[in-house]
Amino acid sequence: MQNRTFVESFVKKRLGLFGLLGVLVIVSLGLLAPLISAYPKGYGTEILLPPSEKFWFGTDGLGLDLFAQVVWGARTSLYVSFVAVMVAAVIGIPAGLISGYKKGLLGSLIDGIIDIFLTLPVLPLMIVIAAVVGSSITNVAVVIGLLAWPSLARVTRNSTLKVSELQFIEAARCVGISPRMILFKHILLNIAGPVLVNLTLVMATAVLSESGLSFLGLGDPTTWSWGTILKKAWDAGAVIDTPNPWWWWFFTSSFIMIYVICFNLLGSGINDALNPKTRD
Amino acid sequence: MPKLLEFRNFSMGFKDDDGTVHNLLNNVTFDIEEGRAVGIVGESGCGKSVTNLSVMRLLPRSAVIQGGKIIYRGQNLLKKTDKEMEDIRGKDVAMIFQEPMTSLNPVLNIGFQIGEVLKKHRPDMNEEQIKNAVTNQLELVGIPSPEKRLKQYPHQFSGGMRQRVMIAMATICQPDLLIADEPTTALDVTIQAQVLDIMNRLKDKGSLMLVTHNLGVVAEICNDVVVMYAGTVVEKGSMDEIFDNPCHPYTKGLMAAIPTLSSGKEELYSIPGTVPLSNKFSAGCRFADRCSQYFDLCQDKVPPTRQLSASHYVQCWLDFERRE
Repeated sequence: MQNRTFVESFVKKRLGLFGLLGVLVIVSLGLLAPLISAYPKGYGTEILLPPSEKFWFGTDGLGLDLFAQVVWGARTSLYVSFVAVMVAAVIGIPAGLISGYKKGLLGSLIDGIIDIFLTLPVLPLMIVIAAVVGSSITNVAVVIGLLAWPSLARVTRNSTLKVSELQFIEAARCVGISPRMILFKHILLNIAGPVLVNLTLVMATAVLSESGLSFLGLGDPTTWSWGTILKKAWDAGAVIDTPNPWWWWFFTSSFIMIYVICFNLLGSGINDALNPKTRD
Repeated sequence: MPKLLEFRNFSMGFKDDDGTVHNLLNNVTFDIEEGRAVGIVGESGCGKSVTNLSVMRLLPRSAVIQGGKIIYRGQNLLKKTDKEMEDIRGKDVAMIFQEPMTSLNPVLNIGFQIGEVLKKHRPDMNEEQIKNAVTNQLELVGIPSPEKRLKQYPHQFSGGMRQRVMIAMATICQPDLLIADEPTTALDVTIQAQVLDIMNRLKDKGSLMLVTHNLGVVAEICNDVVVMYAGTVVEKGSMDEIFDNPCHPYTKGLMAAIPTLSSGKEELYSIPGTVPLSNKFSAGCRFADRCSQYFDLCQDKVPPTRQLSASHYVQCWLDFERRE
């Protein structure tokens, strides 16, 4: 029997690779935005043009290039989703691991906190916080992360509860492995599947939440994000007008969808490649 | 012979949901001398595994220690801090489990898992030395082409091979005491024989505490035998004393229940009844309900421990001939 390494197995599984490519394309679009197109500002004369060679995605009601908006929007959306995932992971994963492994007072306490956070209505709270702390893009990202960690912690905790009862954890304790090593190596690697998938979900929801907040006018109005584009399209009636300037909302929505799907594919691809049993 | 591990009147129990503590191990007292193999026998539910976990200090949260001492090389293990126990586990005392299929971490390769033990206990060794030590150890427990096997994962090993990996992992730091909790129960007979052979060779390097309900395995490996019933040590002695002259009715019952090649087609003897749950123990002898030689006193008072020879003890109200 051959042992495939993580990378070999990941490359072999087409879907994960496809997700990675999609994510890479969007990430490089975001990173290279200044090289690809000029920052869309002011207004132009060529309003509401359908997609053409000059304007790949057409123009909006102010005559601005929609392709440039999507590219610059990717920058913001990526930033928001990465910050949100970092915040959620840094709080959620250790919280879940500890509450699942330590069954005493500490575990119950963390579990209680997770429960309390889960009962909070997310969208209204996000709106309130975003309104209070001001609509800078970093604030929005941190708020999204702060409200996303409980679900991640819950998934981590449930998987930890299951794995920590298994005998190999007891066996690891029997040879003197420290609790920290057991938690962050033995258990975390075993629950990497659900945790990773959940992380990609957080990433996807972060983009959606940011779009939602921007759509409601609570994003940063001075930067372009995918949500801002959609908000402007909605405000201008582009979604319901006939004849419909479909390109105004279609490309942006597609990008949100592709981004979310690619991240999910990437997550499940990593998950499959991490598990030695599904590698071959 | 100096004593390596001493159980001194060790008692513990489990707390139920109401907080009431039900005693399980009651005044457990026995010794493991250096370089000797001790078999702990008894039916399922007699507290054998709890005895092991007590040495490792890995009892579940609901366990309550009610008294006594567990002394390892003159030091009471019950007084050690968690950090000190971490250093003892794996280095001085190690343990092998019953289920080889679930005792190895499925997502870490076995080279890492065995090497991790050395990394923890032998910080002086570098990566290269650790790798060599692991390879040698795998060879020692009879795993062919160990260099190749290092990079493999548990699911690529058969049950017997995994048990060898477990043994390699438990013995890599050459612990003074190896605890084996039914190491052969989950294996088929030929693999059992091979694993027993490995354990027989390892036992020269330290003491062995073998927990089993298979008296054949005890006869094969052990020097001393401790018979446990419902959390009490009912009889202990050298292997010969227990096998040739079993005194306690429970030990006699266990011996009678071993099938032999010469036994005909008549029904095999079995001790009537089952081990009671820890909340239903009687006040006197815990075996009284199932005992064939039971009389009134048994139910009411805990029987005395009588010494029959220098090493042979039995806890029973019956009178036995003292032998020297």
